[in-house]
Amino acid sequence: MIVPVRCFTCGKVIGDKWENFATRVKEGEDAGRVLDDLGVERYCCRRMLLSHIEIIDEIIKFYEARETKQMKPS
Amino acid sequence: MKVQILDKNDVSVRLLIEGSNAAFMNALRRIIISEVPTMAVDDVVIIENSSALQDEFLAHRIGLMPLKTDLDTYNLPENCACKSEFGCNLCRASLILDVEAENHTITTYSGDFKSENPSITPVSEKIPLAKLAPSQKIRLEAYARLGKGKEHARWQPVSMCAYKYMPIITVNTKLCDLCGDCIKMCPRNILVKKGEKLEVRNTTDCTICQDCVDACQKTPKAIEVKWDENTFIFRLESTGALTPKRIVSEALNILDEKLTDLQSQLKGK
Repeated sequence: MIVPVRCFTCGKVIGDKWENFATRVKEGEDAGRVLDDLGVERYCCRRMLLSHIEIIDEIIKFYEARETKQMKPS
Repeated sequence: MKVQILDKNDVSVRLLIEGSNAAFMNALRRIIISEVPTMAVDDVVIIENSSALQDEFLAHRIGLMPLKTDLDTYNLPENCACKSEFGCNLCRASLILDVEAENHTITTYSGDFKSENPSITPVSEKIPLAKLAPSQKIRLEAYARLGKGKEHARWQPVSMCAYKYMPIITVNTKLCDLCGDCIKMCPRNILVKKGEKLEVRNTTDCTICQDCVDACQKTPKAIEVKWDENTFIFRLESTGALTPKRIVSEALNILDEKLTDLQSQLKGK
C-alpha cells in the first residue's frame, strides 16, 4: 500500500528514504548505488525499498476522480 | 577491561572491547535490545480519518515512528508517582496531527505532528504516514510513553546490536606460495598481496568465515584464522531515539541495578 515505516527484519527506519530513493531511481540512477548513498547497508533493509510498489498512488486516483467529477457521496 | 572506539557517527558506534567474555557481552546486548526504555506512541485517538488507510493501519504506522527520547524528564508509567492508567505529564506526551488535503493530493509526514512537548518530536520528519486525496482529512491525537523493547519492538532503541570475536589471522610465510586463491575467496577483501608477502588489513572486518583457509591448497594450510575469546567487536546502530553513548550507559545502569537487587535479596535471606 504505502511504504513501510521500518524494515520488517531489523527495524531500521526506511520510510523516510523512500521518496528520495524512488525519484532518483526513476531518473536513471543505479538502485544499488542510491541505497549505498542513503546508508541502507543490510540486505534486509535494501529489499524493503527495492521491492516496494506504492499501490496507494493507484488507489488515490479513484478518490481524486470522485472529487473532480463532483460525485461525492451525500 | 579496555574499550576503544573504532568508529562512530550520530547513530552508530563500533567498539573494540578487550578483556571481557561472551556472557557479559551478551548480557549487555540483550539489555540494550529489551530493557533500555525509549519513547513511542502507544495510544491513538482518531477523531476523523477519511483517508484511504484504515484507522488501525494508520495507528500502527504512527506507533512505529521513533521519537526523540528525554529519559531524564519522563518516567516509565509503571514507576511514575501518578499511578494513573491515563498517565500524567511526567509519563505521557501527546502529539496532534491535523491535516486536510484541499485542492490537490498531499502526503502527510511525521513532521506534521504538533507536539505538546517540543523535545518529544519524531526522529525523522520525512516518514510518509498517509496520502490524502482532495477533501480527505485526518485528525487525531497520539499519546507517547516510555516503554521497553521486550514489550514491543517499537520501543527498541536499536535497529542493530551485535558483537563478534576479534579475528586473528596468521599467514605462514614459509608455506605460502602467493597463489592468490585466498585473496579471491575473501568476501571482505581483507587479504592483499604486497610485494612478496601476503598482507592482512582491516582485520576487524573479518567475519571468520574460514573461506580463505578452505581455499588454500597447501597441506598443512598456509593461512590460519582464529579468534580471541576475550576480545570483542561490539556494533550498535540506534534508531535515533537515543544517542549510542546514552544507550550503552543506560544499559550498564540497568544491569548494575539488576545485580544490586539480586545481591540485596541474597543478603536478606
